[in-house]
Amino acid sequence: MTYQAPWHEPYAREPYAHEPYAREPYAHDAYMREPYAHDPYAQDGPRPGADVAALRSAYRLLRRISTLAALGSFVLYIALSCCAPGLMGARIAGELSLGMVLGVLQLLVTFAAVFWYGRSARRSVDPLALAVRERARATGRSAGAAR
Amino acid sequence: MNGFGSGTQASVLLLFTALVTFTLLMCVMAGPDRDDLANFYTGYLSLTPLKNGLAIAGDYISAATVLSTTGIIALTGYDGYVLAVSTALSLVLLMFLLAEPLRNAGSFTMGDVLARTMPGRAVRVAACLVTLSATLPFLVVQLSGAGSLLTFILDIPHVAGARTACIVMVGSLMIIYAAIGGMRGTALIQMIKIVILVGTSAVVAVLVLHRFHWSPDELLTAAQHGSGAGPAFLRQGLQLGTSAGERLDFIGFQVTVVLGVACLPHITMRLYSAPDVPAVRRSMSWAVGTVTAFCLLLIVMGTGAAALVGARYITAADPQGRTSVLMLSQVLGGAPGSAGATILYSAVAGMVFITLLSSVAGMTLAAASSLAHDLFAHAARRGRAKPRTEMTVAVWASVAVGTVAIGLATMVQDWNVGVLTTAAICVGASAVAPTLTYSLFWRGFTRTGLLASLYGGTACALLLLAFSQAVSGTPSAVFPDAGFDLFPMQSTGLVSVPFGYLAGWLGSRLDHRRRAADSLATRRLYEENEARLLAAAE
Repeated sequence: MTYQAPWHEPYAREPYAHEPYAREPYAHDAYMREPYAHDPYAQDGPRPGADVAALRSAYRLLRRISTLAALGSFVLYIALSCCAPGLMGARIAGELSLGMVLGVLQLLVTFAAVFWYGRSARRSVDPLALAVRERARATGRSAGAAR
Repeated sequence: MNGFGSGTQASVLLLFTALVTFTLLMCVMAGPDRDDLANFYTGYLSLTPLKNGLAIAGDYISAATVLSTTGIIALTGYDGYVLAVSTALSLVLLMFLLAEPLRNAGSFTMGDVLARTMPGRAVRVAACLVTLSATLPFLVVQLSGAGSLLTFILDIPHVAGARTACIVMVGSLMIIYAAIGGMRGTALIQMIKIVILVGTSAVVAVLVLHRFHWSPDELLTAAQHGSGAGPAFLRQGLQLGTSAGERLDFIGFQVTVVLGVACLPHITMRLYSAPDVPAVRRSMSWAVGTVTAFCLLLIVMGTGAAALVGARYITAADPQGRTSVLMLSQVLGGAPGSAGATILYSAVAGMVFITLLSSVAGMTLAAASSLAHDLFAHAARRGRAKPRTEMTVAVWASVAVGTVAIGLATMVQDWNVGVLTTAAICVGASAVAPTLTYSLFWRGFTRTGLLASLYGGTACALLLLAFSQAVSGTPSAVFPDAGFDLFPMQSTGLVSVPFGYLAGWLGSRLDHRRRAADSLATRRLYEENEARLLAAAE
């Protein structure tokens, strides 16, 4: 099971779903955005927060890139429409103006963007989410056994 | 009125009756089990992503979108194109930003999402009030539009009695769909609606393009000519004007649409019914694809209406151009009375009718669910209500919401209440959007912050709107003769959206200072819930 994760290469190589973090508890430090120096679990073995933190930063990156790209291009589009009507009204092919072409182009690019988002999420976020779920299930089971 | 013989009216009536009978039958057959609350609120958890996506798209494309946007494109050209793009983009933003954590955080309503880190009655009551203030205006504007639209389609003379009768009829049907069908029944109707809507629109768009020999040049030349605006048709500014202030107003309106439309409760409610995160993602992909394709069709249809019908006739029938789709289908069908004309007009009329019915039913259901789940079950009974009682309350809440909406719609039917659509979108963008983004992504968000952004955002949006140019002072306003337009814009998003975000932030700051223990507890709850929020881990 290999995922081609563009941003989280190191996670992708591990079959983490089956292998607990116990074996290499500190392997993830380098890839986390927030240092967990104050983490109380840091001293004794695996840290329950580590996989959630990895998932959080993966989600955050994906969310930022996609949202900023979508919102940014649109804001640029309306700003140009309002501030540079001459440019946007310039005819580029027959009656077609640049503004119209850009508008329709945004709608067409939407299809590609949605496809890209789904693919990136499958590669970067889903494996990490699966790991968090597996761990939660394992913790829940052991807690149940202890009781 | 619309120049058709009785044959066309008969076939339209026949089609309406068939649609109503068919959808009612589906609704009764798909209705939820008496005791299963989850069944009523979320419908099937087993709905495939394609079907769920179609239902989301169906809920998203309201009658206001179909009719007003085509009208705005036909009358203002470029400004309408931008509106179509922002409508599609809003759902894209919902997918990228909120859909997945929302699905994990919520179970039935917006109150569930917010109360997950801040349990308590105040939060539930606020969630319910904001849900109502976002859905009721939308409901009223569509119902009151239904009156004039149905009298136009069926060629009944424009008298108050006929319009009231149409409003009551559509309203009663909507109550029946929401109360009997629940989420499951309305999901089915939304699927039927979106298939009919996209199919019919595609045919109309192909006919338009065919009429102009598939040449965008010819179409645009004819549209510029037909609109009477000339080259200005392809430039920004016909809708609101070209001065600096009016351009700012235009930008504000578009940004409000992008942030607000997809946050409305009847759309986010559909997300909770997906079984897991990959499913919600695939559902949203289908929904976004459908909506984007439909927006492309809208552009073609609106331009076609400008080219073939002409702005003069469109504004003569309705100053906002909401009948332009219907008029376009009359022109495209060929000679009045011919088979082609009858079929095309009936199909488009049926499409408008089912869109109207399904979108008001979806909004009624969202309002009723919030009343029953947030206000009754959690605020009044503190979560100890029996599922069966809650469901009975939900059914009666749909009846109550529907009746209130019918009453209001009848009262305002003679006014130009298009501003109510703006009100709903502004509440969505200035109260719902800040609260949801803070609640999902900021662990420092506290109770005071939440109440401040919900109430503050809503109050700011509605107050500013009451004193805006959309309500008084301009010819297209609700009260054109009065002059209390202190806020010089048509929509309030430019001020009220930052206000909503600022209120949430300031409220949370205040809590950190004054009630450190409470805000710490909220933070801890957020962190405990984070695994569930991000990964659906239990």
